[in-house]
Amino acid sequence: MRKNLVSRNNLISYKNFGRKNLIGYIFSSPFIIFTLAMWLYPFLWGIVISFKKWNLISPKQSWVGLENYLGVIKDPMLWVMVRNSIYFMVVFITITTITSLGLALLIKQIPKKYAGLYIAGFLLSYVSSGVAYSMVFNLLFAGDGLVNNLLRIFGIKVGWFTNPKIAMASIAMIVCWKFTGYYGLFFLAGLNNINPTLYEAAVIDGANSWQRFIKITVPLLNATFIMIIVFATIISFNLFTEPYMITGGGPMNATRTMMLEIYHRVFGLLQAGYGSTLAIVSAVITFIFVWAFRKLIERDDIYE
Amino acid sequence: MNKYIKCKMPLIYLVLTIGLFLAIFPYLWMVLSSFKVSGEIYTRFWPTKLTLGNYAFILKGGTGQERNFTGSIANSLIISIIPTISVIFFGMITAYSLRRMKICGYRFFENLVVYQMLFPGVLFLIPLFLIMRDWGQINKHSGMILRYLIDPWAIFIYIQFFKTIPESLLEAARIDGASEFKIITRIMLPLSKTTTAIVTLFTFMARWSEFLWPLIVNKDYDKMPLSVLLALFTKGEYQTYPGVQMAGATLLTLPIVILFLVFRRHFEEGISFTGLKG
Repeated sequence: MRKNLVSRNNLISYKNFGRKNLIGYIFSSPFIIFTLAMWLYPFLWGIVISFKKWNLISPKQSWVGLENYLGVIKDPMLWVMVRNSIYFMVVFITITTITSLGLALLIKQIPKKYAGLYIAGFLLSYVSSGVAYSMVFNLLFAGDGLVNNLLRIFGIKVGWFTNPKIAMASIAMIVCWKFTGYYGLFFLAGLNNINPTLYEAAVIDGANSWQRFIKITVPLLNATFIMIIVFATIISFNLFTEPYMITGGGPMNATRTMMLEIYHRVFGLLQAGYGSTLAIVSAVITFIFVWAFRKLIERDDIYE
Repeated sequence: MNKYIKCKMPLIYLVLTIGLFLAIFPYLWMVLSSFKVSGEIYTRFWPTKLTLGNYAFILKGGTGQERNFTGSIANSLIISIIPTISVIFFGMITAYSLRRMKICGYRFFENLVVYQMLFPGVLFLIPLFLIMRDWGQINKHSGMILRYLIDPWAIFIYIQFFKTIPESLLEAARIDGASEFKIITRIMLPLSKTTTAIVTLFTFMARWSEFLWPLIVNKDYDKMPLSVLLALFTKGEYQTYPGVQMAGATLLTLPIVILFLVFRRHFEEGISFTGLKG
């Protein structure tokens, strides 16, 4: 019945089908042109360049087949960068999941009017600019910075950004600081979507709060976990501003990421082909990780 | 059991407040340090005397180096405001034509929107730079703006929102003789306040903080946005001026914090729509 009504209405208003399409296409033509010029064209060109050797300047571009791809895969630096990103990813996902889920669980229990204030406070770190907070943390965690001055009381001095073993973890902590409030908001939205009767039923069945958390909350937040892990994976492989500002890829390449290397190769060493290949390889690696994570933890059939 | 519940709420507030303190501490330290004299930055938390010297230093362009920071704030505003307006405008008319006018092949275009959101930006960096160079857009504001004039993410969330508007409303307007464009500006725009607030906030934030793209397409100091100029300044000759750095960082943070506080109300409401923005 409802369906009929809609289609009849459409018939009345769109007597002139061609005119509707004409106006509609005028409206969406900027998007279509933009897609062709700024998305499809560069996408294809990026693939073409990856099969070429070119220094960005000279008119001479020579086809080299798979040479760039072999070069990227054979370069030991690729595996250093992948290892760095995985290190970052593990620290970042672990800590940020704990802090943001913890935040959401706590905020859920306090009255709405206060919750709003806390959320706003935690979100302030999310809206900050990469360059600005990198500068702040660089000074806070410097060798003679505030944090080390505090730790000196206990006789500890940590080279947050100068010790190759922990430099990447330090950067991951900064990014955790940035995203805790934002991801907390996603977890809060997920928690609010859980039907409270499930908890009531569990209480009647004698489940304690830990059992309720593991058997109800965690499985029903599956979609939120997936989303946050996918975001975090993409962030891990696209890290640029923080290492660029703070460590420049050092110490001993411990914070070198693929974005830094692409920037360095293309705009420092003028290796357009190699850089494009690295970009494609980096995108493929990201896809593999996202796919693997979804395969591993995504569930469709939770308590239907 | 009773005793447990009694101390539970204060404990929650305590943990949240400590967390909140850690979350805003870097901001607090940044703002305080920007008013400190250089001797007190690392040694004292509360300054004994306040100075505007750091701000004066940075706004005058440093010593000897003529770095136009005032101009760079204007540059940042240009490359943030123009894309924000454009993203909203094109986001709306595209979403309207796809979702509400259902032009031929609208499903294909909607899928295209989603694909564009999912493809990682790293693939486009080098070829887009080359395109900008071929079009003579290097060292120009337009070069930093062009690729951000339309954002598939904005189209996507407008589509999500337009789905919820009842067709009868649009029918009534059409029967009254309103053109499709009038329907967008008179009906859709006022109805989609929350969505527009979210798009404004995220787009302005992303463009204002943008670092890599303007770093690549612009080498002209007079056209650099604040983020890039500040980064080069910090990594270059002013590594030993922490107070000045913090004054710059404060200037860079302030506009988006203000914008966030203005649109804060819409942020939470909009979170379900923005599900796909990393």
